Amino acid sequence: MNKLMKMSLFAAAVSSSLAAYAETDKSDWPSPMSEMFFGQVMFDRLEVTRNDNQENVFTWDTTAWYGGDYHRIVLRTEGENQQNDGAPTDLERTDVSYSYLLSTFWSVQAGLGVKGELSSDNDLEHYAVFSLTGLAPYYFEVDSSLLINEQGDVQWLNEVEYDFLLTQTSYLQPRLSVNTNITDSTRFGREAGVESIRVGLRYRQEIVREFAPYLGVYWQKQLGQTANSAQRLGEDTSEFGVIAGVRMWF
Amino acid sequence: MSETNSSRRRFLCGAVTSLSAMSLYQAAPRWAHAQGTTGGVVSNQPVALRIDQRPFSFNGSSAKSITINGQMPGPLLRFTEGQRAVIDVTNNLQEDTSIHWHGIILPANMDGVPGLSFAGIRPGQTFRYEFDINQSGTYWYHSHSGLQEQIGHLGPLVITPADGDIGADREHTILLSDWSFEDPHDIFRNLKVSEGYFNYQKRTIFDTLKDVEEKGLMDTWQVRKMWNDMRMDPRDIADVSASVYTYLMNGRDSVMNWEALFKPGEKIRLRLVNGSAMTYFDFRIPGLTMTVVAADGQPVKPVAVEELRIAIAESYDVIVEPVGNQAYTLFAESMDRSGFVRGTLTPKAGLTAAIPPRRTITERGMDAMSMDHEGMDHGSKDHSKMNHDMPAMDHSKMNHDMPSVDHSKMNHDMPSMAHSGHMPLKVPVNDIPIHHDEDGHGPGAAMIAANPRSRLDEPGLGLENNGRRVLVYQDLVGAQSWGDEREPTRNLELHLTGNMQRYMWSFDGVKFSEVDGPIHFTHGERLRLILVNDTMMDHPIHLHGMWMELENGQSPRPRKHTISVKPAEKVSLLITADAMGEWAFHCHLLYHMDAGMFRVVKVSHGGHHHE
Repeated sequence: MNKLMKMSLFAAAVSSSLAAYAETDKSDWPSPMSEMFFGQVMFDRLEVTRNDNQENVFTWDTTAWYGGDYHRIVLRTEGENQQNDGAPTDLERTDVSYSYLLSTFWSVQAGLGVKGELSSDNDLEHYAVFSLTGLAPYYFEVDSSLLINEQGDVQWLNEVEYDFLLTQTSYLQPRLSVNTNITDSTRFGREAGVESIRVGLRYRQEIVREFAPYLGVYWQKQLGQTANSAQRLGEDTSEFGVIAGVRMWF
Repeated sequence: MSETNSSRRRFLCGAVTSLSAMSLYQAAPRWAHAQGTTGGVVSNQPVALRIDQRPFSFNGSSAKSITINGQMPGPLLRFTEGQRAVIDVTNNLQEDTSIHWHGIILPANMDGVPGLSFAGIRPGQTFRYEFDINQSGTYWYHSHSGLQEQIGHLGPLVITPADGDIGADREHTILLSDWSFEDPHDIFRNLKVSEGYFNYQKRTIFDTLKDVEEKGLMDTWQVRKMWNDMRMDPRDIADVSASVYTYLMNGRDSVMNWEALFKPGEKIRLRLVNGSAMTYFDFRIPGLTMTVVAADGQPVKPVAVEELRIAIAESYDVIVEPVGNQAYTLFAESMDRSGFVRGTLTPKAGLTAAIPPRRTITERGMDAMSMDHEGMDHGSKDHSKMNHDMPAMDHSKMNHDMPSVDHSKMNHDMPSMAHSGHMPLKVPVNDIPIHHDEDGHGPGAAMIAANPRSRLDEPGLGLENNGRRVLVYQDLVGAQSWGDEREPTRNLELHLTGNMQRYMWSFDGVKFSEVDGPIHFTHGERLRLILVNDTMMDHPIHLHGMWMELENGQSPRPRKHTISVKPAEKVSLLITADAMGEWAFHCHLLYHMDAGMFRVVKVSHGGHHHE
């Protein structure tokens, strides 16, 4: 009898505690783990080159992104300005894209951008961009972009980088970029074919992870119709230069 | 060669100088006094804990830390088995906080996980925790809010058995932790945006040239090819290293040298807890044999070892019996060998013993890729489903073309020569086929372990064949059986997955933010949890609210609250779903948990079926 009473009391206590549990208002409870967003501004190349025509050229190549693991907004800008040549800054590309992580190491981007010479009288080229970026086997960092302008002219820009670790804070980085015109562009004076290749080698020393000055060399060769035009003007189709710059991010 | 020097140099850079030692000392916990404890002490009831933020100034820069009752780590809480614990926690921070009682079996609403157990403790609020203690042993407590655990929101919790017998003349509690002057949010961000940020022990081209010299071009090429194809780093042992951490023993670093006193001839119980956010430690006391008597607070049959690896959130109780009138070094080295912390076990204050020479990083071997021959023998026929991102690495190639791969890193092929000389025991998971998602668990998983296998007989990376007897999970035998000998009615398989490039961590390739509901357990059921590690890292997996009995081939089984799973390992655990409510289940690497390696387990009465 006594035992039975104890048991029923116990059962009542258990069921009331269960009921209390079920009735708890959780509306103001936080999520046990919240998703965080991150961003980064990466100046992959911020450099001055001196080429074999004794010209000094300032070059930048910057990527900024913000978002989660799968979905990001990416801003890419690349361009150069030759010192004392009287010509305006040349914007090779500036675009804003939506980026989606397609597989472990690869993401695809789609966006809009503008390129051309930054002078008031020049007409800038507006384009849509579709990119594939990521890490290929053997740690090759790849950036492949298809640019299509308002006239439907198509350009294909490719960059590949690799980092050899010399020490824990110094790197030797070969870099290859190949620009190809898939179609002619009468308006912007481009003819179909491989336009140029550029090969670079940089020695980079990290001061901290976020700040790494470097020295390097590059060689650039114009090809196809672009080279023919240069030859007609009596210009060299190849160029060699030395580089000093810094890779930094925050 | 230069490796040792450079890691030593880095340690000195990251080490606490006398200046910062001062700032650490201000908050060093008072409970960790050198005498230790000779009898049971019960904390006054109710226990009052005050959570404060406290700035550290160090060389002009300042760091945030959290103190509990003015100490960092927090006070040692002592209870006695059978008593009711009443603990008032007052939040003096500017943000919500919480305390989770790690390893304590209690009602779900007392478990201290904001969003699951309760709403959290708001700034200025006091929350009363109240629960019966029906267990004894060595445990700890820590915040389950944000990244607070990294900045000192943790402390040890010891429960004396009801009969008061601790099986020793004296006891010391040793709480290991990893402290950083960096804001933990900065650490997390650096992991997210810059892979390998904290690793200063990567392979250089000179390591490759050395390999070519030693092993020949073809073998070197074969090995490099595999890692490079997969875009994996064999030296990615720890995500966060001594480059940013100072390792602490009871809140003191190696310079401050925490002291534990003993009388020669005494039997001493060391209660070892790893309260780190991200650091596995290898612990030993040169000159002394340690007899492991409890794992995760639960008694095991005594096993004598000379070194043990303690994963994050685990605890081990060891008995040592120093007879000499001399000091001994308590040495805890981080698994990636980037740093260490030492203390001293000494008969007289002020004595020290030699600090052992530092070891260098060991690279992960092919075993981490699960391509060994043994895995096939154990019935995993599923190697055809290799992730498309993995190169086609067939086993015959492995075994015939690559004979000269460093055997010290592949000791699973040679169990008879293993560390402690014992054969792997037969475990149930050997005969359980493993299933991978058709898509290889998606972008969240950089690899899948094609042939996962039991590795409970292995001491782990960097501890193989080191001449010492090292504790392995297979050594653990429960001191008793735990009352439920039913066969499991179902198997629940979960894969540990990750993508280092974006620092995504998950179960089954799906981050917590992407899952649509909890994992359902039916109240009263007995089930087998199978964990498969599809990553190249070790993960300490923790289940709240219920014990996990490790199926390691021993009887009785040992039971644990945290199980460390090696790369390419599969392990099985038996669970009695006897605790109603919602419970956290996660990787106890703090930043892995926050990156998504977290699930909710919901125990309810019937109705739910998990396929």
